[in-house]
Amino acid sequence: MSLVSALFPRGYVFTVLGIAVGVAGLVALGAMAERISRFIEGGDRFVLGQISVAGEGMGMGAGFTAGGLLRAAKIAEIARVPGVAGVQAQVMLPLKTTTSQFLTLTQELVLGMDLGVPTPNRNYRELPVRSGRFLAPGDRGVAVVGADFAASHRLSVGGRLEVAGLEYSVIGVLDKTLTAPDRFAILPIEDARALWLRRDPLLVQLIGSSAGLARSDLNSGAAVAWRTGEDPDALARRIQADVAGVNVTIPSELSRTLRESTAFFSALLLGVGALGLVIGGLSLSNTVTAAVFERIRDFGIKRALGATDWHLLKEVLAEALGVSLWGGAAGIGLAVAIGSIVDARAVKSGQQVFLFSPRLIGFALVFSVILGALAAGYATVRIAHLSPAEAIRRGS
Amino acid sequence: MLVRAIGLARSYAGPAGRAVTALAGADLEAKGGEFLAVIGASGSGKSTLLNLLGLLERPDAGEIWFDDRRVSHLSRRAQARVRGRDIGYVFQSFLLISGLTALENVLLAARYVGGDRASATREALSLMERLGVADRRGHYPAQLSGGEQQRVAYCRAVLNRPPLVLADEPTGSLDDVHAGVILRELKGCVRERGASVILVTHRADAAAEADRVVRLEGGRLQPA
Repeated sequence: MSLVSALFPRGYVFTVLGIAVGVAGLVALGAMAERISRFIEGGDRFVLGQISVAGEGMGMGAGFTAGGLLRAAKIAEIARVPGVAGVQAQVMLPLKTTTSQFLTLTQELVLGMDLGVPTPNRNYRELPVRSGRFLAPGDRGVAVVGADFAASHRLSVGGRLEVAGLEYSVIGVLDKTLTAPDRFAILPIEDARALWLRRDPLLVQLIGSSAGLARSDLNSGAAVAWRTGEDPDALARRIQADVAGVNVTIPSELSRTLRESTAFFSALLLGVGALGLVIGGLSLSNTVTAAVFERIRDFGIKRALGATDWHLLKEVLAEALGVSLWGGAAGIGLAVAIGSIVDARAVKSGQQVFLFSPRLIGFALVFSVILGALAAGYATVRIAHLSPAEAIRRGS
Repeated sequence: MLVRAIGLARSYAGPAGRAVTALAGADLEAKGGEFLAVIGASGSGKSTLLNLLGLLERPDAGEIWFDDRRVSHLSRRAQARVRGRDIGYVFQSFLLISGLTALENVLLAARYVGGDRASATREALSLMERLGVADRRGHYPAQLSGGEQQRVAYCRAVLNRPPLVLADEPTGSLDDVHAGVILRELKGCVRERGASVILVTHRADAAAEADRVVRLEGGRLQPA
């Protein structure tokens, strides 16, 4: 049998379709698990890339820097702590105030960044820009939006973003990061402060009053970068000890907390992945085994013509390879098609349900080929125990 | 090739677990260049005899010898080699593989015995030409008539020029014209190549073409 005829076996349309259904189930469930997993991984990378500091107290309760106001003087104090490489003042506000008390990982946020300081997060030095450009020092009245944010608000470069009666010109749209920034609208910090004041009139009264609050004090938090070689956890504890009146998150503790809070999702995706393996695996192996058993008569004829067990095993494995590859590819195509249709609807609300990563596609193909070969090998060994006459009798 | 069967016995599990005896110590000898016909009533064990002689299943007792080789007791692998090189089968129901073309079905005989594929293809086409099915080489079995399928099956059986040809009711589902073609070819095998042909049939006209006729009755063979 030539390689070509092995890779394009005839008469296997329904087998290929059967495998495709199994693999599609595996890939679709895997893509959902992959999506959740990537989101959690991204969040973890983010919190491990910087030390987040907020003012003491409850404050806005938004984003990663929940806490009270972090005044400019405190930021200057933090910057003087040995080991600190830079401190970037930030304002993080919920886009919709109605949901501000229900902070979730998928909440849409407005992030104001002090562009005079290099991005401190070691794991996100630069956010990938899909179109337009990122913010630059001196920018005002502009915004860069995450991919999901852009999709849900139908924004593109040149578009206008309106929040609480204030308008921002969209100058950039980020590439998908599959984590929090996808749902961010990023503004220069002065614009974010203006938005904050618009939303919280009490703050307006405090600015310039006896409270001594200045506009530069309007920071919901700060991201701290550490010098190379510095232990971020140790530095976070040093900041907490040296600077009074701040809430400092210890990166590893925050990572642990994040993982604990997403433990349900981790368990869910493990279950989804396992379910996908079982359903896809059973469907695939059952289809291949049935296809081999259906050909029991052909095997009997071939053995009558001199085929040894090894000849048959080689033929069946070659065909199983072809059928599994085609079935696997068709299943992946089917899952991607279904996922694309679902995601096309989900993206309108800024969601992405599936992530068809290369590792998932590769795994699905390897899985289908290995399982197909094992199932075919098992069926062949079962048939090989029959005499040629018995195989012909049973298959006729 | 001298084919000898000594004391062949074979029984099957019947209804309610009772054993049904097909062969009960059958002895047979067919010399090279001999056309032997085996006749007998339906269910007398003719096909079982042919299956045992063709090493398609193992006997419960008895031995089969090809010349000085006791082939009934060879390993599975060695028996497969003997089947491929030394035995050609023609079945009543043709037993062509539906997913292969006529030519591919014929070439299947050469696939497992090694040798040059190009010369096997030439030989196969020459045989198919002689049997009048060369123009159907690209057709699948379902696209062929019964007579054409049997001629293709015959080409497959003799492609490797086996010294033993076993034919199990090869004309059973053919009209007289096509039956005549197959019987002529089987006789040609004997005369031109000195092959041993053992034909199982219930047709008197087919048995009449044989050099010798034996009857299977009560699980044993006896001269007809």
